This record gives sequence, structure tokens and C-alpha cells, in this order.
Amino acid sequence: MSGPDQHLDWASLVDYWAGDLAPDDELTHDEHLFGCEACSTLSARVAVLTETLRDLIPPLITPERLAKLAARGLTILENPMQPGDRREVVFPKHVDILLHRLGGLDLANATHVSFVMRVESTNEVLSTVLEAPFDRAAGTVLVACQQHFAAFPPDTVAEVHVHAADGGEKLSRYTILHCFEPPT
Amino acid sequence: MNDMSDAELVECIAEAGPRREAAEAALCRRFAPRIRLYGIKHLRDEDLTRDLTQTVLVAVLEAARQRRIDDPQHFDRFVFGTCRNTVARMRQQATRLPLATDEKLAALVAVPPLTVELNGLFACIAKLEERSSLVLMMSFLEERSAAEIATKLSLETGNVRVIRHRALGALRRCLDAGEGTSH
Repeated sequence: MSGPDQHLDWASLVDYWAGDLAPDDELTHDEHLFGCEACSTLSARVAVLTETLRDLIPPLITPERLAKLAARGLTILENPMQPGDRREVVFPKHVDILLHRLGGLDLANATHVSFVMRVESTNEVLSTVLEAPFDRAAGTVLVACQQHFAAFPPDTVAEVHVHAADGGEKLSRYTILHCFEPPT
Repeated sequence: MNDMSDAELVECIAEAGPRREAAEAALCRRFAPRIRLYGIKHLRDEDLTRDLTQTVLVAVLEAARQRRIDDPQHFDRFVFGTCRNTVARMRQQATRLPLATDEKLAALVAVPPLTVELNGLFACIAKLEERSSLVLMMSFLEERSAAEIATKLSLETGNVRVIRHRALGALRRCLDAGEGTSH
């Protein structure tokens, strides 16, 4: 937007909802949105996406986040796995979170952990997390699989890369063949 | 009433004639969604946003009734100013603001929540390129700025912004086209 009478475009509204505008620009956007119905409508179309994404439960969670989700009353089913495991896991329809507890990791000297979820049959990458949360003492990474992940292919390989201070990297793979119970 | 300008509606309210109630309803319908968006952006809380919407509408309608709006031609700026001041007050107070108990007003400010059906959204995310979905997740799930993401992914900040708005545009089109159907 270069003048007070010009409409805001999609790109600048995405920056606005991402919180990536300078304070003066954000104030200008705020003020314009109150006086322009067309821009307010477009802004709502951006916001419905950004705010839904912001409210999602992330695919990788900390033990503290897991405890909070349980405290909220979500039904959580545990699926402990070890490196090299390959098995089918049923995700019952009454369960909110299927928790893949990826264990057997030596995290004592880890500087950071990165995570990739692939499709086993095609090798397509579904999700990448460059700095995954991990439980150093327990040697685990927690994957919070959710019912709406049924949109993705069910045959998945979780790859956990443990990075050490000396530059070394160790890869552990867990093959999870999801079976989502169909709704009745 | 919906075709009338803000200033005309404000005048109808101030006149206290038979059209006052309809004029108030029209102004509420026009501004409730805008106040709500402002609340979501700056308060990040549904309950507080509902409080904000109701408090601001009560305040601006009272101002209109009492002819306290100096420049009705720029009524939107008056609403915006009231909104900013109310948010500042809400941030200072630990407790929620006391609400007016006007049932008609409460019904008028009831704007549907901003939601997308998650199965559809994820089906559309699954169609994005890997880098696009990564930028979206880092932006909104991890709350990282474009500059931070650029550093992590060895990209220019401007490039991250372009990837981000194109990815959201693709999601919007996918959802609008009803392509977000899970398999």
C-alpha cells in the first residue's frame, strides 16, 4: 500500500498477520482496516489461515506440552518405538493424539536434533523440523500424531538426526504404518 | 440501512428517532468483524476479543447517542481509537472488563469464529512443496520471524516472505476449490 486510499494486498496482509511489519506499518494497516470493508474482508481470509495454523498442536512436542494436553482432557494413546522398528499402528477414532514415543536415542551429547517424516513408498518428505524438541534424559523424541493427519499417506518413516558437538550425526529410523479407523 | 454511510447512521442514532435501533444494528454489523480482527491480532485470545468487541461497540454507540463524535465522516477512526485505548486498558488490567448486559447488542456482536476444517487444511498442506510447508510451520506454529527463518534456511528475508504469502495463497485457493478432501 503506497497511499491511504489504496487497498492492501494479500502479501502485505500475510506479513501483517505474521507479525513481520515494522510498528509504523502495522499501525497504518490497523487504521486502514477499520475504514475499508474490502481490505477487512481480505484480512479475515488471511487470518483464518494464519490463526488456525498458530493454534495447531505441533507434530513434535515436549513432555511438558504433552502433560498440558493430557490436563486439557485430550485422549492420548502411547506408541513406544525403538530405532529400526517397523509396524502397523491403529489410530482409534476416539483418540485425539497417537503419541509416537521415539526412544533408544543417545542424546547425552546432542547439540540439537532434526526430524524428517517421509512417505515409505515414495520417499516424499511430509514434514521437516530443523530443531526438534527432545528429552535428553529419557532419550526420546515425541511425535503427536493427530486425527487430521489422515490427510497424509499412512506409510511413514520418521527419521531422527542427532547432531553432536563434534559435528557427528546419528540417524535413527522408525517406520510407522498408520491405520486410521474410519468414522462410523 | 446497509447502504447508508457511517456518518448517516451516526446521525440517525443521534436523532433518537424510530430508525435509531436499526441504525445501531447496521453499525454493529459493519464494525463488529473489524473490531474482532483487531482483537485477534492484538490480544490473541477469543474471550478477550469478545469482551473487546462488546465494550467498544457499547462505547461508540453511547458516544453516537450523545453526539460526542466530533467528525462522523471519519467514524471508523473513532472506532479504531476506542479500540486501541480499550486494548491498552485491557493489557493494564489483570481482570476482564465488566460487560454491558444488553442482549440485543450481544447478539449483534456474535461474529462466527475464524476456523478452517482441519482435515481439509491438512489435505491442502500436503499438496504444498516441502519448503513452502516448512516456512508456514516455522512462521505460525513456531512463531519465527521471516528474518529468523531466512537465517535457518539460508535464504533472503524477502524470499521467505514471498514463499510464505504464496504458500498461504495456494492454501486459500485449495480450500476455496474444495480440494481439501482427505483420502
